[in-house]
Amino acid sequence: MKARILGIAALVSVVAAAIVGLVIVPADLNQGDAQRIMYVHVGSAWVAYLSFGVTALAGLLWLWRRDPRFDALALAGAEIGVIFTAFAIWGGMMWGKPVWGVYWQWEDPRLTTTALLLVLYVGYLLLRRLTDDPTRRATRAAVVGLVAAIDIPIVHFSVVWWRGLHQTATIGSPDRILNPAAPLVFVLALVSMTLAMSLAWAYLMVRRYELARLEWAREESARRGRIVAARTPATAREVAR
Amino acid sequence: MSTLRTEARVALAIARKDALSELRGRHATVSTLFFAALVLLLFGFALGPDSRRLTEAAPGLLWLAIVFAGLLAVGRLHLVETDDGALEQLALYPIERRAIYAGKALAGSAVMLVLGGVLLPAVAILYGIDLARAVVPLVATLVLGTVGFAAVGTFYAGLTVRMRAREVMLPLLMLPVVAPLLLAAVQATAAALAGDPFGELAGWLQLLVVFDVVMIVAGAATYRFLLEE
Amino acid sequence: MSDWPFVVAGYGVILGGLALYAALLQRRLAAARRSGPDESSPLEDE
Repeated sequence: MKARILGIAALVSVVAAAIVGLVIVPADLNQGDAQRIMYVHVGSAWVAYLSFGVTALAGLLWLWRRDPRFDALALAGAEIGVIFTAFAIWGGMMWGKPVWGVYWQWEDPRLTTTALLLVLYVGYLLLRRLTDDPTRRATRAAVVGLVAAIDIPIVHFSVVWWRGLHQTATIGSPDRILNPAAPLVFVLALVSMTLAMSLAWAYLMVRRYELARLEWAREESARRGRIVAARTPATAREVAR
Repeated sequence: MSTLRTEARVALAIARKDALSELRGRHATVSTLFFAALVLLLFGFALGPDSRRLTEAAPGLLWLAIVFAGLLAVGRLHLVETDDGALEQLALYPIERRAIYAGKALAGSAVMLVLGGVLLPAVAILYGIDLARAVVPLVATLVLGTVGFAAVGTFYAGLTVRMRAREVMLPLLMLPVVAPLLLAAVQATAAALAGDPFGELAGWLQLLVVFDVVMIVAGAATYRFLLEE
Repeated sequence: MSDWPFVVAGYGVILGGLALYAALLQRRLAAARRSGPDESSPLEDE
C-alpha cells in the first residue's frame, strides 16, 4: 500500500516536473529549446549512478552476510540502472544533435563513460541469467558488480584525460546548467526533475525488489522440491502419482 | 611474513607450471599467435592499401590484436584446469586463493608478453613503423598493458570458466573493464612512436600503473569467492 | 531549424519508457504473485 502511494507521488511529480521543464521555463539563450532535454538527461544519469552504487554496496553486503535480500537489492539496482543509463544516453544524443551538430561526441567524457556503463551492467544482467544456482549467481554477480564499480572512476578519468590532451573545442557543455551563474529558473527545473526522477526510482526499486524476492522464493521451493523428489524412491513416487 | 613468502612461492610455482605447459604445448600458443597475425593482416585489408592510414592507426591496431589474442590466452589458462577437475583439486590445498590468482595472472602476463613481443615487430613490418626510436617506452607500455590485461582476464576467466556460453561471456564481461587500459596503452604507444612531442607518455604510463595495481588488488581480494562455489 | 522534434523525442522516449517499465514491472509482479503459491511442490513439506 505504501508502495502505491509512492508510485502515485512519483507519477504526479514527474508530470509536474515535465510541465515545468517543457512549458514554464523559458528557452535557454544559447542552446534554445534543446536545453530542456538536459533536465531529463541529468536526472536519468544521476539516478543511474545511484542504482549502480546500490548494486555495488548490496553485493558487498551479500558477500559479507549471505542474506538473499541483499542479492535482490543488487539485482533491482542493476536492472533499473541499465534502464536509466539508456535514458541518459538517449537524452544526451537528442541534446547533442541540435547543440553540437552530432549525436555522438567522443570527446565528451560523460557520454563515453555512460556508454561503457551500459555494456558493463548489461553484462552483469546476462551473467545473472546464465547462472542457475541462486547462491552461486548472487556471489558471481556481487564480485562482478564490485569490479565494475571500481572500474567506473578509472574509465571516467582516462576519458577526461583523453579529451583534455586533444583540446577539441566543445561548443556548449552540459556543465553550464550547473554553473552558479545560471538563472534560478533553470536550476529549479533541473532540481525538480531530478527529485521527481528520484521518486520514480524509489518506487521502481521497491517494486523490482519485491519481484526479485518472489523469484528467489520460487526458485528455492522448486529446488527443495527437486531435492525431495530425488531422495524419494522411484516406487514411492509412482504410488504417490 | 613467512606466510607471505609461502604464498609468493606457491604463486610462482603455479605461474611456472601454467606458463610452461602453455608455451610447451606449442599447439595453442602458435595458433593464438597465428590468429593475432591474421587479425593484423585483416586490418590491412580493412584500412589499406593507403599505408599512411595504417601507420597512423598502428598503435590502436596493435593493441586490438593483443586484446583479441590475450582473450584466447587467459581463457585457456583456466580451461586447462577444468579438464580433470584440477581447479577443484587446487582449491582443496591449504593455500591462500590469492596465491592461485597471482600465479595464474603471472602466467597470463608471461604468455601475453611473448605474444606482444612477436606482434610488435610484426606491426612494424606490416604497417611501416620505425621501432628503434622508442624501444624502452614501447617495452614499458607492453609490460604494463599485458600485466593489467592478465590481471583482469584471470579474474573473469575464473568467473566464467564453469559457465554456460563462456566463450561469449568472457569477452562480453571483461572487454568493457579493460577499455581504459586499451585507451591508455594505445595513447602511450602512439606517444612513444611519435617521440613524445607533448610529454604525455609518462601520464599514460602512470595511468596504466594505477589500473594494474587497482585490478590486481581487486582480483586477488575477490578470487576466493569464485573458487568457493 | 527548430529544436522541438529533439525535445519531444527526448522527453517522449524517457518518460514513455519510464511508464512502460513501470507497467511491465506491475505485470511481472502480478504474474509472480499468482503463480507463487501453487508453484510450490506438494512434496515440499516433507
